[in-house]
Amino acid sequence: MYNTEVRGPLILGNKSLSQITADITSPLYARPKFWWIVGLGISSVMMLLGFWSIYVTVAQGIGTWGVNNTVGWGWAIINFVWWIGIGHAGTAFSIFLLILRQEWRSSINRAAEAMTVVAVGCAAIFPALHMGRIWDAFFIIPYPNTRGPLWVNYNSPLFWDFIAISAYLLISASFWFLGMIPDFATIRDNTTSKVKKAVYGFFAMGWRGSSGEWKRYEGLSYILGGIAAVLVVSVHSIVSTDFAVSVEPGWHTTIFPPYFVVGAIFSGFAMVMTLMIILRKIYKFEEYVTDAHLDKVAKILIFVSLIMGTAYLTEIFMAWYSGNEYEIFTFFHNRITGEFTRQFWIMFVFNAIVPQLMWFKKIRSNLVIVFIISILINIGMWFERFNIVVTSLSKDYLPSAWASYSPTFVEISMYLGTLGIFIFGVLLFFKYIPMIAISEVKAVNKYQLKKK
Amino acid sequence: MLAAFRKLKEQEIEIEDVFTPYPVHEILEKHGRKSRITIVGWFYGFFASLAVLAFLIYTAVIDWPLNYGGKPSNAFPSFMVITIVLTIFSITILSLFTFSWRAKLWPSFGKPIYHPEATDDKFVILVNKDSTDANKAASVMKETGAIEVLEK
Repeated sequence: MYNTEVRGPLILGNKSLSQITADITSPLYARPKFWWIVGLGISSVMMLLGFWSIYVTVAQGIGTWGVNNTVGWGWAIINFVWWIGIGHAGTAFSIFLLILRQEWRSSINRAAEAMTVVAVGCAAIFPALHMGRIWDAFFIIPYPNTRGPLWVNYNSPLFWDFIAISAYLLISASFWFLGMIPDFATIRDNTTSKVKKAVYGFFAMGWRGSSGEWKRYEGLSYILGGIAAVLVVSVHSIVSTDFAVSVEPGWHTTIFPPYFVVGAIFSGFAMVMTLMIILRKIYKFEEYVTDAHLDKVAKILIFVSLIMGTAYLTEIFMAWYSGNEYEIFTFFHNRITGEFTRQFWIMFVFNAIVPQLMWFKKIRSNLVIVFIISILINIGMWFERFNIVVTSLSKDYLPSAWASYSPTFVEISMYLGTLGIFIFGVLLFFKYIPMIAISEVKAVNKYQLKKK
Repeated sequence: MLAAFRKLKEQEIEIEDVFTPYPVHEILEKHGRKSRITIVGWFYGFFASLAVLAFLIYTAVIDWPLNYGGKPSNAFPSFMVITIVLTIFSITILSLFTFSWRAKLWPSFGKPIYHPEATDDKFVILVNKDSTDANKAASVMKETGAIEVLEK
């Protein structure tokens, strides 16, 4: 189970247990650095911009956006799908790898889960505002109401989406919190500050590490892991049915659910890569998040990128092979060539071709290049969603209804606002939560020492 | 620590509890603490899925059937999506609360912390000195290399 000979040591430096505690908790006790405060300031400004755009949208309506009758889904839906995709990293990482008993996950899962929770929170903003009248948003909840009672349409993927995203947010947050309980207890017992003792003690909920607690803890994490693994697949499949169930050229395909899930895991892992490279550099966690860890993530990225490339080619092939003139038009005259050529090729090159460079060990071990590739992947994934949302809608069956789309300042600032929320959340996470699961790393470390 | 644990077990000294910074599987198994949380989780899931399905059928078929383009009101295949997601949701929430209840974990400060470093790098075996032979236990622990033996 803990056989890591093939992979080499997961944690370098022959750490003792208390050293691990000290290393990982040190950023919590240190004074915030200058860059941290600057980052917090910049992200706050971005958040303010975002709140302004939300205010404008609510006060004046969707008319302040660039969407029109033809292209009814614009940046809001693109960004929603993009954020949800990034939000798949945490669960994909911690849960799939927990079930597969891949011990190397334990150095990374905490950060990946934190990212998930923040990203899904960002994502949820967009569909809520896209409803237009957000004060009537509660209509989507099936409760015995005074309108009949008129229940919601359970056949609608939009309702599935509402259920799936809220469940996903709550479940990933609770999984994340569960993992942190033992670590909060560690901080509670270690810290000298009274305030920290009280706050972390509150969240540690009286954890003492007794055998009964551990036994139930392990049982529970396997239950949550097992069932939430289904959720990783289902959430983005449901998002994809929002598209696939409608009769739009380029959307109405059965490839959509797996294609979306793979895309989500792709962008999520790329974001994990970006974040981990920054985190290990700043906090000197190179001995916990080793080069070997990043190498594994890079290999996963190569593989998933191949699947993405296959999916793109399958889509294009099926459009031609079906002989459907609308499908052919969308793919060959509106994506590969035509108005949206640039966006299509950015997507194709960044997602399917550039990551293939990581086949070379030299490139894979050069973290600057890997960092750039991981950012390019996220840009590429954004353009993938742009392609799906905008190109299909802008020119479908009725040429007289064709229209183009470009975002307004309100939409752009809303996107910047969610980026601000994300950075803000990640910075707070850096400062107030142990970034690596202390108890899990200790367990991994022990089995390593035993082998010697 | 494991040696001390085994020896205490051999000499039939009753161990009250063991505190470790990470799960040590041998102790979890031999200490005899059982957890039925996985079984309970299964039942939560079973009943939650029935409840969700019953709710969907009641609201969409019995209470106020609506005609969506002539499709059948009892659209079981599309009800499955919501059923699965809400079942997962219920299992998570219910088993979290069960965990909190059974493992006695909730925001509190009343519990005695026997050794503050048990969450850092110490392995603590707790023996009740009223019900067992304290000296014997202490000598076993010393023998097997305990760093400190505290009596409270």
